[in-house]
Amino acid sequence: MKEQRMIAQRPMPEITELTEPFWSAAKERRLVVQRCDDCETYRFPPEVGCYRCGSRKATWATVSGQAKLFSWTVAHPPLLPYFQEHAPWPVAVVQLEEGPRMVTNLVDVPIEEYEVGMPLEAAFEEIDDEVTLVLFRRRQVEGG
Amino acid sequence: MIRDKTAIVGIGTTEYTKNIGRPEFVTALDAVSDALDDAGLSPSEVDAIFKFEDQADNELEMARNLGAKNLRVWGGIGWGGGAACAPVIHAAMAIASGMASVAVAFRARNRGSGGRPWGRTSMRVGRHGAFEAPYGLISPVQQNAVMARHYMHEYGIKPEHFARVSVSQRQNASRNPRAFFRDPITVEDVMNSRMIADPLHLLDCCLETDGACAVVLTSAERARDLKQPPAYISGVAQGTGSQHYMMTPFYKDDAFDLPNVYAAKDVYAMAGVGPQDIDVAQFYDVFSPLVLWQLEAYGFCGRGEAGSFVEEGRIDWPNGDIPVNTHGGSLSEAYVHGLNHVLEAVRQLRGTSTSQVADASTVLVAAAPVVPTSALILHR
Repeated sequence: MKEQRMIAQRPMPEITELTEPFWSAAKERRLVVQRCDDCETYRFPPEVGCYRCGSRKATWATVSGQAKLFSWTVAHPPLLPYFQEHAPWPVAVVQLEEGPRMVTNLVDVPIEEYEVGMPLEAAFEEIDDEVTLVLFRRRQVEGG
Repeated sequence: MIRDKTAIVGIGTTEYTKNIGRPEFVTALDAVSDALDDAGLSPSEVDAIFKFEDQADNELEMARNLGAKNLRVWGGIGWGGGAACAPVIHAAMAIASGMASVAVAFRARNRGSGGRPWGRTSMRVGRHGAFEAPYGLISPVQQNAVMARHYMHEYGIKPEHFARVSVSQRQNASRNPRAFFRDPITVEDVMNSRMIADPLHLLDCCLETDGACAVVLTSAERARDLKQPPAYISGVAQGTGSQHYMMTPFYKDDAFDLPNVYAAKDVYAMAGVGPQDIDVAQFYDVFSPLVLWQLEAYGFCGRGEAGSFVEEGRIDWPNGDIPVNTHGGSLSEAYVHGLNHVLEAVRQLRGTSTSQVADASTVLVAAAPVVPTSALILHR
C-alpha cells in the first residue's frame, strides 16, 4: 500500500488592494516597492501613507534588485509543518540598494557562507498562479 | 503629571508550574484575590480593572467573579510583552485622574500547558506578516534572532554574551522558591543547549509556564494607611518611536532605534531620576539579548557595550552595578508576560526579595524593548 502523507502547506500572503501591485510585479519577475511622491522615500512593507512625511501619494517603483545581507537566522524545530519538513530553515533579511529591508530566503547559498553585508540580487520563485516569492541569490560577478 | 500620586499596595500570584490544572481565568482570579488580601482591601472596592489585550478573559468576568460593585474604568493594552508595565500604568492613570480609587492589573497565562500562539498561524497571512510568514519568519524567537545576529555583527558581540544573562538570572532563581528552574547553569550549558533560532539556544529563551500575577493600586494618600509599605509610582512611560512594526524593528531606518529608547527618556524625565539612581532593574527577558538592549537604552552602558557589561558581572546580584531580574525573570522564574517583574520590583522596595538589594529605594521595570513598550519607576 502506498504511504499516505499529508503535504504540509506553506503560509501564503493575503493579497489586498494595497499589496496587489507588489505580487503582480513579482509574477513578472520584477521587484517593486512604494516610493513617496512627495519626499521620495522608498518604503517597505507597503503602507497607505509615508512614515517620513505622512503623504498618501506614492508610486510603485521598480528597483534594481541589488541588496546586501542585513541579517539572518536558522530556524530549528518545533516549526510550522511546512518548515519543519525542510528544517533547519534559514531566513534572511536583506537591505535593498534603495534603502528598505525585506524578509526573504537566499537561493543556492550554503548556510556556512552567510555573511552580513554579502552582495545579493533578487531572484523569483513561482509558488502558484497567484504568488511568486521574491528570493535573493549571491550577486553574479559583473565585468569579470 | 501622575508622579507619586499612586502606589502599588498589593501583589499576588499563583504557583508557577508546567501544568497548573485550572483555566487561565481561575488562576487570574486567584492572583487578584491574593493581591487584594495582600493589600488588605475588599474586592467590593475594586472599581478599575486593566488587562493585557492578549488575555482572552475580560474585565467583566473578573468584576463579576470578584464581587466588584461598579467598574469606573477598564481597558486592555496590546502588543504582547510590550505591555508588561502598561496595565499598571493605566491603572495609575485611572486613579491619578480621579476616575477610580482601587485598581487591579492582572495577567494569567497557561503558556506551559496551552501551546504556542504562533502554532495557530493562519495559512493566509495579512498585513506585514504577508511579507514574512511565507519565508518562514513567524515566531518571536526567530524575529529576535535576526535582530541579535545583526547586533552581534555591528558590535562584535558573541552568543556567550547573551548566555551570560541566563547564567546570572539562574543564579538569582536558585534563591527563589517560586522559580520554576532553580539549578545553577554555566555559559557552556547555555551554549550546549539545543539551537532554537540561530544564534539563540534553548537556554536563551524564556520558560513556557502556567501561572498568574496581579497588582492592586490606590492613591498615595490612602496607601499610607494600608497593610503593606507602599511602592510609589514616580515614573511611567509607553513608547513606540516612528516607523515601528510589532516585533520586526529591522524595517526601521535604524533597526536599533527601539521603542524603549523613547520610553527610557520619558520615564526618567517623569520620575526626575537617571540610571545612576536606580538600585535594581527588572528587565523583560523573553530572550536573553533583550536584556542587553535594555541595559543600553536605559543608560547603564553605551550602545554596543552591554556584552562586556554583562561579561564583567555588572548585572549580577549582589555586587554588580545594577542587579537585574533578582527573581530569575522569564528565563528562570516564570513567563507571565513580565508582570512578575513588577511584583519583584515591589518586593525589592518592601525588602522581601530572595535576592534583596540592600536598601533598595528606587526600582526600574521595563517591558519588551522590541515591541511597543512600557516602563515604570517605583520608589519607597
